[in-house]
Amino acid sequence: MEDFTNEIIDTASLPRFEDVELTPLQPSYINVIRLNIGITFGVIAIVCGAGFYFIEELQPYWPYVAITYTAILLLTIIIATVRFRNSGFAFRKHDVIYRNGAIALTTTIIPYNRVQHVAIEEGWLSRKLGLAEVDIFTAGGQKSDIQIPGIDKDQAERIKQLLMGKILKEEADEQ
Amino acid sequence: MNNDFSRPQRQSLVGVVVMFGNTLQKMVRALWPILIVWIFKFQELNKLSLLIGAGVFFILIAIFAYFKYLNFTFYLDEENQEFIVKDGIINKSRLAIPLDKIQQVNINQSLVQRLIGVHALEVDTAGSGKQEVSIRAIPHELALALKSRLHTGGRRTVAADESRIQEETGKKQAFIEISLLSLLKTGITSNYARTFALLLAFVITTSQHIDEFLEFSGYNFSVDEYITAEMVLKFLTFIIVGVMVLILVINLARTIIKFFGYRITKQDGSLLLSYGLINTKSTILKPEKVQIVRVTRNFFQKKLNIRDLHIRQASNMEASAKDQKKTAIEIPGCDEREKNILLQFIFGRIPERGVMLKPNFRKMIFPTFFWLIIPLSIYFWSAYMYEPELYNVILLVPVYALFVMAVIYFGFRNSRLFVSDDFIIKQGGAWDIDNDILEPHKIHTVSLTQYFWQKGSDVGIVSLHTAGGTITFGLANYSRLKQLANYWLYQVETTGKHWM
Repeated sequence: MEDFTNEIIDTASLPRFEDVELTPLQPSYINVIRLNIGITFGVIAIVCGAGFYFIEELQPYWPYVAITYTAILLLTIIIATVRFRNSGFAFRKHDVIYRNGAIALTTTIIPYNRVQHVAIEEGWLSRKLGLAEVDIFTAGGQKSDIQIPGIDKDQAERIKQLLMGKILKEEADEQ
Repeated sequence: MNNDFSRPQRQSLVGVVVMFGNTLQKMVRALWPILIVWIFKFQELNKLSLLIGAGVFFILIAIFAYFKYLNFTFYLDEENQEFIVKDGIINKSRLAIPLDKIQQVNINQSLVQRLIGVHALEVDTAGSGKQEVSIRAIPHELALALKSRLHTGGRRTVAADESRIQEETGKKQAFIEISLLSLLKTGITSNYARTFALLLAFVITTSQHIDEFLEFSGYNFSVDEYITAEMVLKFLTFIIVGVMVLILVINLARTIIKFFGYRITKQDGSLLLSYGLINTKSTILKPEKVQIVRVTRNFFQKKLNIRDLHIRQASNMEASAKDQKKTAIEIPGCDEREKNILLQFIFGRIPERGVMLKPNFRKMIFPTFFWLIIPLSIYFWSAYMYEPELYNVILLVPVYALFVMAVIYFGFRNSRLFVSDDFIIKQGGAWDIDNDILEPHKIHTVSLTQYFWQKGSDVGIVSLHTAGGTITFGLANYSRLKQLANYWLYQVETTGKHWM
């Protein structure tokens, strides 16, 4: 207790998370997003096409369906692109920051001493492109976890090592 | 009494009765369609064979229950530090729980168990949402001894026996006791909305059945001829008063049955809570596991000097928000002094309200839109376009509108965030006013959200995730929230305290 000091903290001079330069996701990750949208909307298009071909009563409605389909497709592409551009992450000395979202922009911050475990996930297309997703879990429930997609695979591995090292260090400090 | 847990032992012999009851209940649940058919065809069936059948059925269940009793054993494996439970007649199972994984041991008593004088012991472990082991029938002393052994890591030390003695003596002098008067006060002042919703659901489903019944039985009368305005008024008053009385009675009964004889005792730095009129429950509260304490009070309760405490402890990682609510410990009807004693015990001091943050008036825009403008537009539009009869209930529109506006306004007025160095207190709610108390070092994740149209007005929402749930505050000044987020992050990152 002798070396205990208790100075007043100047809250204005604390490091600000909002000033941190965020690293964007890998540019090739946009291809993964586009492919996912393509597959989903392709399936919907095939189903609708089959419906119009086989069920005659539906045929008069095709212009409405086509307009709605195009509108939703365009909206999805715009939102996905904005989302991709907004996404970014940063690893500070004591915490990890991840920002994402299109309509609502959410910044999530997890201090390293609250991280429970870290996982790396790869989809088949991501693997082809050499990308991976870093999942960072806390004990605060699903919403408090961070999932950062579109990271270069080697970098993802380095991030995992960094976090594991931090977790071990924090645990040692606490004991 | 056999306190040597290292050798496998069975439950109390009277436990067979509990087993029997359980198995019978399960069978009846599985076979109820057949049973109903039997009851309806009671006249046609041969009474004698039915009686014999029922007799055989009961004897089979009794034998089954006895074998279940024979095959259910439990013991402590001292070497591997595990609690082992063996179960099953044909398919045998052996469950080993490492002692350091045991989160909580609860001793409960249902009506059947109370009648035959045994207790149930439930062991909660980290890893899954549900209780993994429950021993359904053991004597109270044995349950207490086993509980303290499981809690102290099962070491065969004097400390275990000491804590048992402490627990027993502690039983005699309660730390806090919630009186029947407090429970009465709580019963008549809480949960109006929930009981009303339940009643409404009940009335709607039964009225449908009555309609069907009337149609089916061929009644065909015109109601309009008999009804006068006076009758309608009388009928309405009768219904409203009746519903209010019913809500009060249900709440009162529920509160007293659930919480009768609530006593809190101190034991080794944790609190032992036990309560219940028909089913007695007991549970342990460890201050270091507490994540969020919610103090709830409405206008009536403020006048009567009572409030409810909901204490949320760290739960399993996978547990959903709903489960977390379920695992919250509820302490009803505390007065100011009792609340302060409990908070003092949990936090080590009384949480002070720090700097106050108010929400932005824009907080009211979205709920107004969602609960007022959209429903009323749908109502007027469909009445205008399709169903002019809907205009008959137009008198309800101002009632609904006033109610919604009051809820939104008071929800806004009560919404506050108090930040001090050691505590974050979030106040909210329209009628029941909640105060969620959180210590900064319990925070796991901070997240800030802003919709793109809120950028100009500099408002946003902050969420603090803990292992016992999430606290959300907003809409409020976004720059200020960011500043606070930086401060909380600084606190979490420099603290030496663990979150659990």
